[in-house]
Amino acid sequence: MTTPATTVKQRRRPLTPGRIATYVTAVTIALWIVLPIWFLFSMAFTTREEVRSFPKGVLPFIPFSTDTMRFFLGVDGVVSGLVNSLVVASVTVVLSTVISAPAGYAISRYLFPGRNLFRLSVLAVRAFPVVVLSIPLAVLYIRVGLFDSIISVALMHTVLTLPTTILVIASVFASVPYELEEAGQVFGASAWQSFRHIVLPLVFPGIAASSVLTFVLSWNEVFAASVLTLENRTLPALLLNQLSQSGPAYQFAGGFFLMVPSLVFMFFIRKYLFNMWGQVSK
Amino acid sequence: MEELEPTTKRRRNLTPYLLISPALLFLAAFFAYPMFQGLILAVYDDEAVLPLLAEPSLSGERVGEVPPGTRVTIFAQQGNQLDGEITADLLTEQWFFVTGDDPDGAAVEGWAPETRVRVRDEAADGTPLGGTIRPKLGENADPLTPLRGEPSERADVVAELDERAPVAIGEIAVLEVWFDVEAVTDDGTVTAGWAPSRFVRAFESGEEGVVDRGTDGQFTSRFIEKMLDDRFFGPAWRTTLLLMVIIIPLQFALAIIMALVIHARPKGTSGFLYVFSLPMGMSDLAVGILFFSIFTSSGLLNSVLDAFGLIGDTPPTYLGADTRNWIIAAIVLAELWRATSIVMVIVVSGLQAIPDETLEAAELFGASYWQRVRYIILPLLKPSLQVALILRTILAFQVFAVVIALGGGEIVTVLANETYRQYFELRDNNVASAYAVFILLLSLASSIFYLRAVRTENEGAAS
Repeated sequence: MTTPATTVKQRRRPLTPGRIATYVTAVTIALWIVLPIWFLFSMAFTTREEVRSFPKGVLPFIPFSTDTMRFFLGVDGVVSGLVNSLVVASVTVVLSTVISAPAGYAISRYLFPGRNLFRLSVLAVRAFPVVVLSIPLAVLYIRVGLFDSIISVALMHTVLTLPTTILVIASVFASVPYELEEAGQVFGASAWQSFRHIVLPLVFPGIAASSVLTFVLSWNEVFAASVLTLENRTLPALLLNQLSQSGPAYQFAGGFFLMVPSLVFMFFIRKYLFNMWGQVSK
Repeated sequence: MEELEPTTKRRRNLTPYLLISPALLFLAAFFAYPMFQGLILAVYDDEAVLPLLAEPSLSGERVGEVPPGTRVTIFAQQGNQLDGEITADLLTEQWFFVTGDDPDGAAVEGWAPETRVRVRDEAADGTPLGGTIRPKLGENADPLTPLRGEPSERADVVAELDERAPVAIGEIAVLEVWFDVEAVTDDGTVTAGWAPSRFVRAFESGEEGVVDRGTDGQFTSRFIEKMLDDRFFGPAWRTTLLLMVIIIPLQFALAIIMALVIHARPKGTSGFLYVFSLPMGMSDLAVGILFFSIFTSSGLLNSVLDAFGLIGDTPPTYLGADTRNWIIAAIVLAELWRATSIVMVIVVSGLQAIPDETLEAAELFGASYWQRVRYIILPLLKPSLQVALILRTILAFQVFAVVIALGGGEIVTVLANETYRQYFELRDNNVASAYAVFILLLSLASSIFYLRAVRTENEGAAS
C-alpha cells in the first residue's frame, strides 16, 4: 500500500489549461483548510487584548505572545483536565492495543470456523453510534460505582476504538507474509522466536501508527466523556461545558489546544492513512 | 487495498479462539451487556408500580399494586423492621429498650416507642441514656405505658410502667414507618394494603398522601411517548435530517473534486494530501470552536469584511438567537470542513483501484476529461461511494459538539444534543435511552436502505 505520489513516477507534463485548473483547485482547497487553522493559531498565540479587539488580524501582523495560552492553562481545572485526557488516552491506547493485537493476528493468520462471524460482529460494533452507547454505559457505571472516574471513560473509549484497532492491526499483520515466519522456523527458530524477531519488527511501525490513531480518537472524543464524568472532566468535556460561560481567549486557546495532537500525529501517520481507512471503510 | 484473506491454512486448533477471546470478552462486558441493559431502559420502567401488601412486612402477601402519582388515604401507620439503610428522606420511628421499676416496685424491662419516653440524659454524642415515661394526655387515658417484648406495636406486652417513672435506655431500634393505605385507581377499582412509607409521601394532615415511586418494573411505552411529546423532539430530528440533506451531497461533490485533484498528481501531491486530510484527525469540538472564531460577530469573517469596508460601524451578528439560518450555514460549513477528508480518503482509495489503462484508453478514443469522469470514473467509484455514504450517514446522526459550539444547543438542536439534554440536564435516563434507540433505528434503517438500493440496482442490471 503506497500513497499515490509514489505509485507512478512524476512525468514532466506541459502546463496545459487543465493542469493550471488542477493547481488552482488544489491551492484553493488547501487554503480553505489551512486559513481557519492559521487564524485560530494566531488567536492562541497573541496577547489577550488582540483577541478581544476588532477587527482581528493574523500572525505575523499581530504581536506574538504566549499570553493567551498561559491564561488558558492558568484557568481552574484546565491542567487537571489535560492530565485526565492524557491518562484516558494512554490507558485507551494500551488496553486497545493489548486486546486487539492477538485478535488481529488471529484474523490475519488463521482460517477458523466463526472467523467471518467475528469480523462481522466487530464491524457491527463500529456501526453503533457513540451517542447510543454512552447512555447505557453511564447507567451501568453508576450501578457498579465506576461513574465519574477516568477509568470509566478509558473503558468506553476502548470499546469505541477496539473495532478499528482490530481491523487495522489485522491488515498490518496481513501485509507480512506468513512465509517469512515459516522461513524463520525452517532455520530453527521457535514459533515465538520467529514471531518476536521477524514479524514484530516488521509490524511495529504499523501498530505504532494504529496506536497513534487510537490516541487521537480518544483525545478528541467529547460526547461519552461528557456523559460519563462530572468532576473528573477530560479536556474536551471541560471545554464543552464551559463554552457558554467563557470568553474568547479561553475558547480560542482551548480549541487550538485540542487540535495540536491531531496536527502532529496526522503528520506521522500519513503514510498509513490509506491502509487504515481503506481497511476501516470496508 | 490489502485483502484480508489469511496467508496460511493451519490445521484446526484452539489458538485463534484463545487469541480472539480477550476482545470477545471485553466487547461482551462493555458493549453487548450495557447495550442490552440500556436499550431496555427505553421501554422498561424500573419503578412502574408499588405493590401493596396484606400485612406491614416485606414477606406479606401481595394484595394489589398502584402506579406512582396515585392519591391514597392513609388509615394507620406502624413501625416495622427497617429494610436497608437509613436515609434522610426515610420516615422512621425509634424504639428504646428501657429498664425501670413498675408501679409495684419490681424491676422490669421491655421495648417502648420513642414517643413515650422523655429523654433527660444523653451521652456526649447525643445517644440517649435515660429519661422518664411521658404522662398520657386526656381525662380517661390509662396512665400506664406498656413495655413490649419486641420493638413493635403488635408484640406482646411484657410489663407496664407508670407515668414519670425514671428509666434507663439501653438498646435503640430504628423502625421504618409503614402505612396502611387505600387507593382508588383511574378505572375505579379500590386497592388497599400496607406499603413502606418511603414510597408514599404523606400530606400535612397525615390522613392523605400520594404514591411517590414504585418498586416493581413493568414494560411501558411511557418514555417513548414522553420523547415524542418533548418540545425539542420535532426540531431535533428535522434539523438533523436537514443538515444531512444539505451536507452529504456538498460533501461528496467536494470530496470527489479533492480526490480527483490528488489523482491528477500535481507537484507536491503528498503535501496536498497531508493538508487535505488534516481535518480528519480533528476533534469535532475543536472544529466547532474554529468556526465559532470565524462567525462570531468580532470574528474572522467580519474582520475580513471590515478590511474591505463592506460592513458599517456595528458588525452583524451571525450566531445570535434570531439568526437561525446563519447558524445552520455555519454548521454546514464546519461539517464540510471537518468530515470531507474521510470521504476523500475513501474515494482516493477507490480511484487507485481503477487501472490507468482504462482511463488512457478512453483518452485515446477522444473522451474529454469531463466524459471520463462522468462515464468511467464515477460508475467505477460506486462501491467506494456507497461505503462512504453509509459511514457519513451514521456519523451525521451524531453531530453534537459542532452544534453546541456554534449554536449553544437551544436555537438549533439535533438528536444527539437532545439525548445529552435528557440525560444531563433533566436526569431522565429512560427518555435519553429512548432518544438513543431512535438514533440507532435511524442509523440502521439508512444503512439497510443504502445496501438494498444498491442491491436492487445490481439485480436490475443483471436481468
